[in-house]
Amino acid sequence: MKQKRMYPKPRTKEVKVLKRSVLMLSVLALVIAGGLAMVAAEYVPGTPLKVGFVYVGPIGDLGWTNAHDKARLIAEATFPWLETVYVESVAEGQEGPVIDDMIQQLGCDVILTTSFGFMDGTLAAALRHPDVIFGHCSGFKRAPNMMNYMADFYQIYYLNGLMAGALTKTGKVAYVGAFPIPEVKRHMGAYAVGVREILPDAEIHASWIYEWFSPTAAKEATEALIAAGCDVFAFTEDSPTVCQVAAESGLPSFGHYSPMYAFSPDYIVSGQIAHWEAIYLDFFAKIYAGVFTAQNIQDLDYWWLLQEKAVEIGADPGMFINPVFEDALKAVMHEDPILGTISVYDLVMARYAQMADPSMVYDPFNGPIYDRLGTLRVPEGLRLSVFELTTMEWAVDGIVGPWPGEPE
Amino acid sequence: MSWESWVIATLSRTLAYGTPLLLATLGEIYAERSGVLNLGVEGMMIIGAYAAFSVAYATGNPWLGIGAGAIAGGAFSLIHAFACITLRANQVVSGLALTMLGLGLSGVLGRGLEGFPLFSSLRGVTVPGLHRIPILGPILFEGQNLLVYIAIVLAVLLWFVLYKTRIGISIRAVGEDPATADSLGVHVARVRYLCVLVGGVLAGVAGGYLSVAYRPAWTEGMTAGMGWIVIALTIFAFWNPLLGLFGAYFFAALFHLSFRLQAWLAPELLKMMPYALAIVVLILVSRGTLQKRMGAPSALTIPYTRGED
Amino acid sequence: MKPPSWIGVERRPALPPWLVFAISMGAIVSALIAAGIFFQAYGVSPFRAYGDIIRGALGSKLGITETIRRAIPLLLIGVGLTVAFRALFWNIGAEGQLLMGAVTATGIALFSGLPGPMLLPAMFVGGFLGGAAWGVIPAALKAKLGINDVITTLMLNYVAIYVVDWLIHGPWKGTAMRGFAYTDPFPAAAILPTIAGTRVHWPTLLIGLLAAVVFFILVRRTRVGFEIRVVGENPHAARFSGISQVKITILAMLISGGLAGMAGVGEVAGIHHMLLGPANVALGYGYTAIIVAWLARRNPLAVILTAFVFAVIMRGGDVIKVSLGLPFQLVNVFNGLILFFLIGSEILMRYRIRIGRRTTA
Repeated sequence: MKQKRMYPKPRTKEVKVLKRSVLMLSVLALVIAGGLAMVAAEYVPGTPLKVGFVYVGPIGDLGWTNAHDKARLIAEATFPWLETVYVESVAEGQEGPVIDDMIQQLGCDVILTTSFGFMDGTLAAALRHPDVIFGHCSGFKRAPNMMNYMADFYQIYYLNGLMAGALTKTGKVAYVGAFPIPEVKRHMGAYAVGVREILPDAEIHASWIYEWFSPTAAKEATEALIAAGCDVFAFTEDSPTVCQVAAESGLPSFGHYSPMYAFSPDYIVSGQIAHWEAIYLDFFAKIYAGVFTAQNIQDLDYWWLLQEKAVEIGADPGMFINPVFEDALKAVMHEDPILGTISVYDLVMARYAQMADPSMVYDPFNGPIYDRLGTLRVPEGLRLSVFELTTMEWAVDGIVGPWPGEPE
Repeated sequence: MSWESWVIATLSRTLAYGTPLLLATLGEIYAERSGVLNLGVEGMMIIGAYAAFSVAYATGNPWLGIGAGAIAGGAFSLIHAFACITLRANQVVSGLALTMLGLGLSGVLGRGLEGFPLFSSLRGVTVPGLHRIPILGPILFEGQNLLVYIAIVLAVLLWFVLYKTRIGISIRAVGEDPATADSLGVHVARVRYLCVLVGGVLAGVAGGYLSVAYRPAWTEGMTAGMGWIVIALTIFAFWNPLLGLFGAYFFAALFHLSFRLQAWLAPELLKMMPYALAIVVLILVSRGTLQKRMGAPSALTIPYTRGED
Repeated sequence: MKPPSWIGVERRPALPPWLVFAISMGAIVSALIAAGIFFQAYGVSPFRAYGDIIRGALGSKLGITETIRRAIPLLLIGVGLTVAFRALFWNIGAEGQLLMGAVTATGIALFSGLPGPMLLPAMFVGGFLGGAAWGVIPAALKAKLGINDVITTLMLNYVAIYVVDWLIHGPWKGTAMRGFAYTDPFPAAAILPTIAGTRVHWPTLLIGLLAAVVFFILVRRTRVGFEIRVVGENPHAARFSGISQVKITILAMLISGGLAGMAGVGEVAGIHHMLLGPANVALGYGYTAIIVAWLARRNPLAVILTAFVFAVIMRGGDVIKVSLGLPFQLVNVFNGLILFFLIGSEILMRYRIRIGRRTTA
């Protein structure tokens, strides 16, 4: 006689289905758990901080990216709790997956993107990763977890312009620009204001090479300007080519972005040096202290200048003016309505002190300033706002040459 | 500014910038004349630039650097030669691969050398006496590099060899009809190897000129597409070294003028010129008999195997 | 110096496709091993690097979707190139055709005034036509005037690059980007939908997959395809059987240029949502696709596979940049090595060394 079963024997097919479902559910649970674990947990202030840098160019360029990378190294050396990683030469439009990788694979708490073209991608990433802190350099879009930062040179270009005005013998100085965008136009404008302050009839010749980095274009542009009679050179290009070319003809120049003194020790007068670490040190320290979080940086917009020490004047750190040119600058006298009769050397020093002062006593774009078409752009007694500075398309009076995008 | 000083300045710059174009074009002309298309010019130039800079920087002797550039470019071109001539691979793909490899290798190897000025660069020379000749003097003899003169001499020499000597006839025969050349006793593979090697050496020297003389420094990617202009120039010159001389200087003048004329001409238009002109030139030359005399070598890009199909 | 008569090189008979694929994969692996030397030189274990590549390209949702995204333009352009190569037309100009397709799509998106739902289809059609027009020029020059195709397509790449440069710095420069060289962003209706949470713009992917199938059938099974193959394999026979070489060359490049143009549409409408610097739009896809098509032995359907393989390599290169901090130039070394190994393997497949007496006189 068959024994009665205590319970009905489960059908094998049902068992199979059941087993398979349990298996799938557990896998699913594990995946979800793993996924949750991978999702960046928000940074806890006071714990080790990991920052990822996204660069648009190679760190070996002598310009933009190199300066950011040097600042990164300084920050890492300053704070023992800071760890940094970087990815170089990321093409515009491709920063999204790089950022995702840096967050998921490397566990970055903060992401810094160092090119205007990364703006939309950074914003999209910021929305995708609301617990991660983002910083976008040179842009204008922000989010609760995304801030902007910029260190600008326009005050230094003004000081360089003062020196150029004193040193030019032909009355024609030159500026080799990369792209006709507001940033470069603003720098050219400040330079022109400085030159014209010393030499009211000076011509500032503009030339565009349409690349951020192109030694051959920079060389040919400089040679063309030399042939046109210009004898002092400033520029925006990620290499010391302009300085080298000017030096070959015995002409003075100003370095740009990185210390370029070594490339032209006898002919480089001064220049601009970026110190992005001023911003980075401030930003990271405040994140570490819990002042900045992934919810409260919507209105954070670093626009740092001389007074914050985010930029430095000189062709070499600590060398304001090349000693070779000190006497020449002291020999040229200038009449200033407030400071009186003063050598250009002393004028530069005085203006520097005024601009580096926390209350920013002086600004190069003090009115009245006319553009080269005759329109009054800065009325008397006023200055340009940051917005006007970052959207400047007009040319300061005295600038000669092509000026794409010039407003009527 | 007087028109005289304008002309002098422009032509003087033309010579300086046109020299690397000329050197590399002469090399590519020889390679293509023998029937081998080498799209790897950019790769060979930048390898030459890196080799030249690193040796010049290490030894303090710019000529050693140029020599190193020549050797590096030549050795690099042998890869392409081996792939295309011995292995009969697709020349287009091989050339592209060479460019990629050259750009990558030079970038990887040159990483530590960026940011160092080269004090032992090839300085310009001023020929005493000759530089006082009105107009021509300042253009040709003031502050120009020795390599400028070498390039001009090479252009004439290579033209002579190609058109007036037996070697030149062999080269051209190999490029037009390798089967017939083979049957007449010309060693097709050897000629092609030689020509590709010449192409590599000259491209390497051109690259070395860039990093040791023209703008003494190293930055990765510094040739910035010059290799592709060379490929256009080769066609523009109808594969003739003397026309290559004029073509290189013409393009160099255009490049320099694009900065002078910026106020009046859109720079993109001028930058487009070398490439658009190469096509125009080809169209003009395509009619009938002209094609035979001045067109591309008939066997260009076609690998040769004795006794096959 | 003649080799002894008992050693020689002779052509192999055609190998079965699976063997061809296997040998090609073997070549890629060999190249990766060679590249391992470079990894070692950077103090990174090659195995760690390969592991990161596989994991980064295939081992996560981000990885796989990024790989697929990279494959989309390679697929579209690659399919077109197989058709062109079949007609023995060396289209090195896919980069420029991609850009012209992008330009046309941008023009339609920003200035055509078409109603919303019509924008995307119009952009694809326009992009196809733009790329096709750019491809037909060198085709006509070759067919009618006998001008070398490698050179004309290459030159037109650069012309296209400067056209884009001129547009974004000049007439099409946008007002929303603070003076930088970009067009204005596209309206929402001109932006391609993506698979949720990824950057895969699936309409372009579908078009690519469809194209692979359609053109596979076209080349293998239709009369037109037959004519294309005859023109490519035996131009003499083509002429004698009344096939118009002019028509076939132009048709092949219409297809190739058009597909490249549509890849351009995908990039601007799916990824960037505006027109930007040409190098950042084209990203060398046009050149990489040449290798993709070449590796697929001119079989449009096989391009699906080879495009994926190269997408894995591209994605892998991106990954090791981040995970191992390796210099990005290494990717170029990679690609160059892979190519040369592939070239070498192809020779092995075409020829073999024969030892012993020839069996045929």
